[in-house]
Amino acid sequence: MSDNSRRGFFRELASVVNSAKDATEPTPSVPLPGDLTDAEIERYSRQLVLPEWGAAAQLALAEASVLVIGAGALGGPVSLYLAGAGVGRMGIVDDDAVELSNLHRQPLHFTPDVGVPKAESAAAKLRFLNPDALIEPYQVRVEAANAPALVEGQSLVVDCSDSFATRYAVNAACCAARVPLVEAGVLGMSGMVMSIKPGRTACYRCAFPAAPTDAPSCADAGVLGPAAGVIGSLQAMEALKLLTGVAPAITGAFLQVDLATAELLRVRVSRRADCPDCSAL
Amino acid sequence: MTWVRTKLELERMGAGEALEVRCRPGEALENVPRSARAAGHRVSVQGTTIRIVRRA
Repeated sequence: MSDNSRRGFFRELASVVNSAKDATEPTPSVPLPGDLTDAEIERYSRQLVLPEWGAAAQLALAEASVLVIGAGALGGPVSLYLAGAGVGRMGIVDDDAVELSNLHRQPLHFTPDVGVPKAESAAAKLRFLNPDALIEPYQVRVEAANAPALVEGQSLVVDCSDSFATRYAVNAACCAARVPLVEAGVLGMSGMVMSIKPGRTACYRCAFPAAPTDAPSCADAGVLGPAAGVIGSLQAMEALKLLTGVAPAITGAFLQVDLATAELLRVRVSRRADCPDCSAL
Repeated sequence: MTWVRTKLELERMGAGEALEVRCRPGEALENVPRSARAAGHRVSVQGTTIRIVRRA
């Protein structure tokens, strides 16, 4: 994209005047790493107009590579909001196929998608949403053995899995690679969200050293779609904060969300000196 | 959209630098000065020309 097309609007409409009389002590302009195209300015205008946001945040998203683990109840809203916001490259990992019982809470999948691999179904919708985003589906189950390779080189990982084993594997891999991570879980009408900066803030295993032995699954205990939507949206919000730095993420704590009572509780978490995942960092 | 483009241009400028935006009569001529003032910049309007001095 040429400079002419990038800045055509202002060539016609405006001129920058270096006005010494208005500046008691002019400061130099801060150069930005690039320019946004006219189409990007229009697509992202409602976030670019935010006082906290701007071209630098938008370009940081465009250069980011995010891995979303799980394309279900949490991964749906997370990947929709991140693709919509302008994340440049996103991997979608899920080894399941769409089932009829998923559809009440998984907004990326529709009835005709039943039987289709979730990663493929999600990628197709996300490409429609934002053709500028590079979407890479991975139809694999994340385990301790493959987590390090999947996490390597990512700007951020968002764990939207529904398995404690996966969460611990992802946490360990992110800590080892020092890749920031957003963890979350949802069940019934409640959930939790936690952001992790490995080596700097408490990790998932610092907060939850061992998996509960009697935790029910969504299939056993049920889950309401909007509850998953709220928790997934909080995860997406955390991801945007970590990627751009426009606001502080929920680190050194996890946010417990009770949608039945509409109560939020921020629970502080400290790093553990004996944490097998992050204490050596 | 004019305010978004104006805001992006202001981000590239230093404190005290001035930007002139020439608008056609209409909504932008009302919105841009209001938004620029709300963002803390100094604003003056003459006809269809908006002059914005970037805040520190």
